[in-house]
Amino acid sequence: MFEILAIFLSGVVTYLTRVIFLVSKKVRPPARVAKYLPLVGPAVLGAIVVPGLMAPRGEISLVETVPALVAGVVAWLFWRWTRQTAIGLIGGLVLWWGIVFVLTVTGLR
Amino acid sequence: MTAVDPLLTDADRARAAARAGIRDGLMVMLAYIPFGLAMGAAMASTNVSPFISILSSPVIVAGASQLAAIQLLNAGASVALVVVTVAVINARHLLYSAALEPHLATWSRGTRMAAAFVLSDPMYAMAAARFGRADGGGPEPEKRAYYFGAGISASVGWSVLTAVGVLAGGLIPHWVPLELAIPLTFLLLTLPLIKNSAGLVAAGVGGFAALAASSLPLGVDILVGAATGLLAGGIVLNFTERRQKQEMADV
Repeated sequence: MFEILAIFLSGVVTYLTRVIFLVSKKVRPPARVAKYLPLVGPAVLGAIVVPGLMAPRGEISLVETVPALVAGVVAWLFWRWTRQTAIGLIGGLVLWWGIVFVLTVTGLR
Repeated sequence: MTAVDPLLTDADRARAAARAGIRDGLMVMLAYIPFGLAMGAAMASTNVSPFISILSSPVIVAGASQLAAIQLLNAGASVALVVVTVAVINARHLLYSAALEPHLATWSRGTRMAAAFVLSDPMYAMAAARFGRADGGGPEPEKRAYYFGAGISASVGWSVLTAVGVLAGGLIPHWVPLELAIPLTFLLLTLPLIKNSAGLVAAGVGGFAALAASSLPLGVDILVGAATGLLAGGIVLNFTERRQKQEMADV
């Protein structure tokens, strides 16, 4: 029950973030706050992305961090060239698999 | 503006727009397969019941926050911490809501409220691209048909992906590691949102602050990172605005 309640309330609060400015034309973000809204996405997602790339398995180490960072850079480059999320993701993931495979085969990982 | 075939009725064109939306929604979900499987597998590795993990998708429809919520529940966090963390992670939807309002302004309130339910990251990207076209996405019925075609197919697709990940994630062989699919997917969601140096600073500082805070209890690192990133980005934004004003005054 406790877990269902947490998920249900999380759904409610998420829905509120999505609906708040669609309910009425009168509800608009205050000008002083509105200019900072475009920073919320980068700040929150950055807080998820950087630890995920720097410490993909929970700790920073040469054999874990470097391949993940290289995959991140390659994903970014692929996205920059094609503007396609799927191509960026697959490019980064496949390169990461390749590096991890080589490191595993050579016994470095 | 695209040429309008006089033989097609309004209903035909709305149906075509719905089909285009469904196609776009399903294409986006193809790109989400690695993330969905990785997330489902990560959820399955916790002690939280698979039913709760699967339920999180149709109820929340926002992957990063779902994973954080399940991991927090697994760690024994309170309902309040779970909800606050989810709220912070999903606060970016405020921007989507404010940005889409002009495009949805003529829709009825009920339709707008229904539209909000499926306003996820990919839905915002699809709607912004479609409604940002020269023809504004076409007449109202076609815009609605496209939006709900894309939104419903992406949300249903996401729920199915999560369920497959939770139920079958453990079957993914160890030589196909998927952990990196999660940060890579979010990296690719972040890039289009970075519009200026303030956005870049918000992402970078937010990221390294979260990393530095990773020894704090689960979920708190994201809160610390997001707040620090927002503060740093805000300072840069104010600084660049002031400098631009000064330059204009000097001219």
